[in-house]
Amino acid sequence: MTPMADNYKHREQIFAALLWYGTWFASTIIAVGMILGGFGDTHSSRIFGLSGYDFVKGGVAFFILLPIARVALMMSIFLRERDYAYTIISIVVLVIIGVGILISI
Amino acid sequence: MGTSTIVWLFVAAFGASALGGALGMASGIFIVPILTLLFGVDIHVAIGASIVSVIACSCGSAAPFLKERLTNIRLAIVLETATTLGALTGVFLIGIISTAFLYGLFAIILAVSAQQMLARRREVVYAEPSNVRSWATVLRLHSSFPDRTLGRDVHYRVRRVPLGLSLMYGAGLISALLGIGSGVLKIPAMDTALRLPIKVSSATSNFMIGVTAAASGGAYFMRGNINVGIAGPVALGSVLGALIGARLLMGLPADKLRIFFVIVLALLAIQMFLIAFGVHISGAPA
Repeated sequence: MTPMADNYKHREQIFAALLWYGTWFASTIIAVGMILGGFGDTHSSRIFGLSGYDFVKGGVAFFILLPIARVALMMSIFLRERDYAYTIISIVVLVIIGVGILISI
Repeated sequence: MGTSTIVWLFVAAFGASALGGALGMASGIFIVPILTLLFGVDIHVAIGASIVSVIACSCGSAAPFLKERLTNIRLAIVLETATTLGALTGVFLIGIISTAFLYGLFAIILAVSAQQMLARRREVVYAEPSNVRSWATVLRLHSSFPDRTLGRDVHYRVRRVPLGLSLMYGAGLISALLGIGSGVLKIPAMDTALRLPIKVSSATSNFMIGVTAAASGGAYFMRGNINVGIAGPVALGSVLGALIGARLLMGLPADKLRIFFVIVLALLAIQMFLIAFGVHISGAPA
């Protein structure tokens, strides 16, 4: 029972870390973009050749990708645990999300 | 868009999220009414911005639930097959259905939320034994969570998975159509159909909302339907409001805040209904 419980705990820590640091990363990028685009010298402020708009767009895209990355991570963890039923369920979720994105391109 | 509009978008999202967070509710339901009624933003643009902030809040608030082992991860991924399928249906439908219908549907969801907030949730203990060959048993969904007040792990059994899945499909559909987290539908599905303890239900629902919203958000983003200039400040305001603001407002009297929210939800529902039927009040988009 104990190794199984430890395993679960470890898994939950990984998801928590991914979502927590991912949220702060995306929020920081959006904040940088807003400062560059909204409060700086209009249109002239750039970092690494990227405008404020590019930063905000990147942050928004990162937020959308974050939960999808979480499902992909779940899939790989289930696969490593040889839990094939749940590996397939994770793949089904990824495929449904993928279909939505593909038909929208 | 002017700097002042960006700042006001940020402030409005922060305020809604902080007030919502103080009551433990998601603020996603307020973003679309704020954007359409106060800022005169087109409802489709508002839905796109709202869905991004819903994802941001779900991701930002997931960590503490996971660390306390309240989130049922297996159950979440099983139910996500239904919510993402619902979201995919919504992505197909949103281009076809009329703006008036969206306003009308939003008004209904606001009214139901007001009613739910008034009624509150009660923990009910179900005693009947569960079927050994049920879906939940086959999928190994039964679990336990550590209860701090009791100082021990509380075991629970998951029931009626097929009913839960069908309700979750509806929740995903509404989430994609209105740009909300759909807690309004997820909570009855989890409490009544699956019969989860409230803490597990809240944590698991919050965990699923991000993926559900990403299914429609990803599609809207690729279509170019997400106005980054609006979605960016709204998402940032919402996530900071949920993380920081809610803590600042912990001291507010919960009962008065609850009544205040019920009134706001009811007023927003009336205004959205009026727009759905073609009656425009000042400030609303023509």
